[in-house]
Amino acid sequence: MITGLNWAALDVSILGPAFAAGLLVVVSHVPLGRVVLRRGIIFIDLAVAQIAGLGVIAAQSFGGEHNAWVVQGTAALTAVIGSMGLYALGRKLAHIQEALIGVTFALAATGGILLLAHNPQGGEHLKDLLSGQILWVDWQQLMPVAIAYLVLMGLWARLHNHGDGPAFYLVFALTVTISVQLVGVYLVFASLIVPALAVRRLGLIPGLLIGWLTGALGYASGLVASALWDLPSGPLIVWTLAASALLVGAVLHFYAPASADQRAGV
Amino acid sequence: MRFLLSLLIYITCLPTALAAVNIFTCEPEWAALSKELALPDADIYSATTGLQDPHHVQARPQLIAKLRNADLLVCTGAALEAGWLPLLLRRAHNPRVQAGKPGHLEATRFVRMRGIPQRLDRAEGDIHAAGNPHIQMDPRNILRVATELSARLSTIDAQHDGDYRARLNDFTERWKAATKGWKQQGRALRGSKIVVYHAQWLYLMYWLKMDQVATLEPKPGIPPAPGHLAKLKAQLTANPAKMILRAPFMDARPGQWLSKQTGIPTVVLPYTVGGDVAAGDLFALFELTLQRLTEAH
Repeated sequence: MITGLNWAALDVSILGPAFAAGLLVVVSHVPLGRVVLRRGIIFIDLAVAQIAGLGVIAAQSFGGEHNAWVVQGTAALTAVIGSMGLYALGRKLAHIQEALIGVTFALAATGGILLLAHNPQGGEHLKDLLSGQILWVDWQQLMPVAIAYLVLMGLWARLHNHGDGPAFYLVFALTVTISVQLVGVYLVFASLIVPALAVRRLGLIPGLLIGWLTGALGYASGLVASALWDLPSGPLIVWTLAASALLVGAVLHFYAPASADQRAGV
Repeated sequence: MRFLLSLLIYITCLPTALAAVNIFTCEPEWAALSKELALPDADIYSATTGLQDPHHVQARPQLIAKLRNADLLVCTGAALEAGWLPLLLRRAHNPRVQAGKPGHLEATRFVRMRGIPQRLDRAEGDIHAAGNPHIQMDPRNILRVATELSARLSTIDAQHDGDYRARLNDFTERWKAATKGWKQQGRALRGSKIVVYHAQWLYLMYWLKMDQVATLEPKPGIPPAPGHLAKLKAQLTANPAKMILRAPFMDARPGQWLSKQTGIPTVVLPYTVGGDVAAGDLFALFELTLQRLTEAH
């Protein structure tokens, strides 16, 4: 499988758009990931990402596949409804919230399988949804994504002080709807949780900056490694994100030891 | 940083500095054919191996890099690569291999297509409007594509026109002689009833006049469900077939189940070059295929 290094694939015009997509995802997901970690609802993004994916699949199978707005609208609506449902359940039944998130994930994932049961490319659609095709992204696609993330981050910056309300679930659902189509469920999960985990002891500003750096390092090294060793980019970046978070976590531990977990209230 | 950048620029310019023809193929059978017809110094790359399903490809940076430097693209066409080749062509931005250019060769355009659907409907599964794209297992198709491939090489690399013609003539002679032998060997198979997993050997069946009586997939691309398997069991118990064929990359379990139920042996055929360690080139591919078929018979 691994036969020497492929230097020719190490080309900015090949890896550039994918790296830019990765940076957009990291920048928009690290702040949300910190909230997810603090609230201990780790698997909510797998659930919401699957629900958004289910929305895309549903819109496509019911004939909307030629109208991008219909597909995006359905996906966003499905994700918002799903995540608001999780929010409402979380308030009413806080003690079983994590279990409900897990069940929701399983229902959304298998719902996609059932919807695609008679679609010949079904298996491939499902795999794309999970591991994504970050490498096929091109510059033109990134502009609307960047604008949408910017609007959502602005919204979050204004709303996040207004208590633990549903604002988070709304912004979260919309952000994940976009990113899951760009990079797939696994990378969305990794971008959200892994850098945030490495910087969990840091305050807001240093936490965000170092978290972004951790994510950028993970995407850059993953793309370079996938070029050199001719491996699929998406799955490999999940691994380099984890490696980069371990590295950053170790450095932070060395320079800022102590039981800061309690201080930060995690 | 500046050093890295200049290194990058140097590396990306490197392939154009060499004069040899770069050939990008979607499937290994076209890489093998290119090897027969191009000059020995040509750089030939196949996006898939003989153990992979050419319908699907995982996005890797090297695919884009290879296509970007290619002078000639050789793919099957007929929508076999519809799931990934258009995306790859768009990302590679290589004007030499875009559709309509001499550097863009779709093999299915140069053979007589079989299995063209009467009616186009997504509900019928993964059907190809242009017909069944798995054309490589009829040796006459290989020769038709070879003629076109050689002509394209002459267009792209005109100064070696004479060499390409000589290589084509040599290949044609060897191939025709070999085909005669295989045809002889396959005579025993005439009229045998065959079950396949996916309609991948349609052209082989036409050539050797075998009879495909059932597919394990209820519709192309749809994995077998219990109801369809039960129907097949009833059909084959009443009217047995000689063997159940499968490519190495297709799911083995449905065929094994059916074989256990009906006593019909399953045979794994190399679907293309590299589909078996013993199928290292086009000649070996057909030899092994004929050998496996006649053994099972």
